Amino acid sequence: MFSPWISSLKLILIPLFWRGIYTTENPLLALNDPVTTVFRSAVLKGDNLVEKVEILKPINLELACTCDGNPNKLPNVTGFWRKDGIEIANSRLTVLLENEQYNLKKVFSIHGDSLGNYSCVFNGADKESKFDFYLTAPEMGNMKEKPIVAYVGDSVVMACKIKLPPKTWIWYKENGTEQELINSTTDPLRYKIFVDRNTTKLTVTNLTEVDSGVYICSAIYNIKTSVSHLEVRVISFMEPLKPFIAIVAEVIILVFLILLYERWGSQKSSSSPTGNMMHVDQMHKLTQDDNGIDESSTRKRKI
Amino acid sequence: MPPAVKANLGYTPPDGGWGWAVVFGAFISIGFSYAFPKSLTIYFKEIQKYFTVSYSEIAWVSSIMLAAMYAGGPVSSILVNRYGSRPVVIMGGLMVGVSMVAASFGTTIMHLYLLVGVIGGFGLSFNLQPSLTIIGKYFQVKRPMANGLAMAGSPVFLFTLAPLNQFLFDNFGWRGAFMILGAIVMNCCVAGALMRPVKMKTVQKDPDAATNGTTTEKAGATEGIANLEAGGLLSDTEPKQKKGGCADKCLDLSLFKHRGFIIYLIGNVVMFFGFFAPVVFLAPYAKGIGIDNYQAAFLLSIFALVDMFARPGTGLIANTKWIRPRIQYFFSISVAYNGVCHLLCPFLAVHLGYAGLVIYAVFFGLAFGMVCALLFEVLMDLVGAERFSSAVGLVTIIECGPVLLGPPVAGFLVDVFDDYKYMYWACGIMMLSPGIFLFIMNYFNYKRLDQEERQRQSGTTGLGSVTRSIMEERGAGEERTISKDLEMFDEEGQ
Repeated sequence: MFSPWISSLKLILIPLFWRGIYTTENPLLALNDPVTTVFRSAVLKGDNLVEKVEILKPINLELACTCDGNPNKLPNVTGFWRKDGIEIANSRLTVLLENEQYNLKKVFSIHGDSLGNYSCVFNGADKESKFDFYLTAPEMGNMKEKPIVAYVGDSVVMACKIKLPPKTWIWYKENGTEQELINSTTDPLRYKIFVDRNTTKLTVTNLTEVDSGVYICSAIYNIKTSVSHLEVRVISFMEPLKPFIAIVAEVIILVFLILLYERWGSQKSSSSPTGNMMHVDQMHKLTQDDNGIDESSTRKRKI
Repeated sequence: MPPAVKANLGYTPPDGGWGWAVVFGAFISIGFSYAFPKSLTIYFKEIQKYFTVSYSEIAWVSSIMLAAMYAGGPVSSILVNRYGSRPVVIMGGLMVGVSMVAASFGTTIMHLYLLVGVIGGFGLSFNLQPSLTIIGKYFQVKRPMANGLAMAGSPVFLFTLAPLNQFLFDNFGWRGAFMILGAIVMNCCVAGALMRPVKMKTVQKDPDAATNGTTTEKAGATEGIANLEAGGLLSDTEPKQKKGGCADKCLDLSLFKHRGFIIYLIGNVVMFFGFFAPVVFLAPYAKGIGIDNYQAAFLLSIFALVDMFARPGTGLIANTKWIRPRIQYFFSISVAYNGVCHLLCPFLAVHLGYAGLVIYAVFFGLAFGMVCALLFEVLMDLVGAERFSSAVGLVTIIECGPVLLGPPVAGFLVDVFDDYKYMYWACGIMMLSPGIFLFIMNYFNYKRLDQEERQRQSGTTGLGSVTRSIMEERGAGEERTISKDLEMFDEEGQ
């Protein structure tokens, strides 16, 4: 009934609360707060059927969906909520048609364990339409999947960036199945960590082959920790040297062959009695050789 | 009516044979020259992180390289005038190669500025300019075709260097990639090896000149050869000419009195302000109206692909007997066509969205290719192959300003108005007005040239032969000068 032509699903959230909680003026207040129940609402209109919500700390969150009543304006439909695909108990309601729309809303208590995929579902005349909310901690998007290549004896800089500043950043190095913490005490000559609100950089100097592997930067939020993996590959200078030498050899051989062909070609033509041909190159190289080379003297002006 | 300045080289260009190998060499050289600075931008993000500098600081590397490439034009001209194309190209290739390898060991951003920017840029200018010059020496009849083919090197190399650079970066990091790129760029030396100095076929044998020639050969062989190679003065009259100046061995500054050259220069300087900015901002414009990254990048690929085929195609068309005599009009029309494309771009984008931008990319690719293919051909047509070397050196250094200023000024326009359409309109006007200017001015120029041609032909034969011998002594190569002499004699005769 609804799915193919749902023109708009209005989404009412309380996302702006986090701006009120975590502000630059009173960050400490935010960090030390217990679970708050701040309510603020914003109406977002979306044609997408999926909405991502980033949550920094435990809160009470109201999610609301609005569905257009067209075309079969049924007087009432059933609405309920799902979490991660499973219907939430006692969430089924009968929704009445108001102003040609169906509204459904519910307050959820969100903390570290209850993050996930919440869907509001409208069920009428055996047809179902739903809207998904992905509730997660902030994630570090578009991190490189490819390893960073660095050289033995050189240094490497790894950076992590995230949209909303976390409480702190921590770096680890993956060692088999364990994770080794990297902080200011671990070999301060080689490891340098730089933190600047929502970015962090780890610089490793004096690299060796052992330093290859996966490094993990984690952004700690009150609600959860967001991690990102960075792979580093340390290679020696011999590796690019091989293709380099191969290509330089190819260049030298080609140049040699071309010049050789030219010399051979000009020798052929100079040995035959074609006195008209003046080869500039030959005069340059074969200084004493005057076999039948005439210098051009007249300028033929073409009109 | 054929153009007034033709083969005053003193010999018949081969127009084929080894010439095509030379075109291939020029293809490689020109490809590296134009595509190399642009393709290095792939490494900037990583280098920026490594040296902890801002993006604008790292973008300077590309700008310095481009600036050095254009500023090196006159130096390149002087060297080509003196030594010919081959040694200069080989040296240029070595310069870029060595500088890239040295840069791979660099420890500060300054090293990159100097090595990649300055030395690399100069090396590339020693590739670009001689390649163009030698085409003029090898081709006359098929020259627009040869130029079109050679200039096609730029989009082809850009197309191949982009994924190649990505591959090198993924496997070797930026240092290793620079080292291997240094080796790859040394293939310019192979291109240089192909640029064999031209064999000159003589038609008449003048016994006096022959004996003179042989003595001069033993005495000042190197000089004579160098000048002949450059299509310059006669060896038998050399000792008298040298003290006059170094017109053919250094830069020929008398070009500034050449009418066609000045027209070309003015038109081009204005044109270059709006030439590259639309390319630079195509992807950001697309992203600005809501198109995703991959589709925006695809626009550039479409542009490059159309460009790749437009260049030789334009060369082919320009070579036909209908267009060749009036090639200046063809060029001015292409420039104006570019302007029209840019003016229409915002309308296409607003009304047709992504499809509109794809249409724009296709037409702009065509326009860009047309202008690039003809850019140096029309200069050769105006000043003649002999003075082309100096002409292109002067042109590139003067164009340095607009080329470098264009994109930042365009970016400034975008920032001020917060909308790309004003920038596109500005670029459209910057290209449409020189197009119209060139068209009108060349109309007058052609009229004058036809007039001079008629006067020269109708000038009496006696005067004609006297002038010819004077010309041989003076050894200047320009027909306008000849016709001026005739005019002078005409007036005196009357």
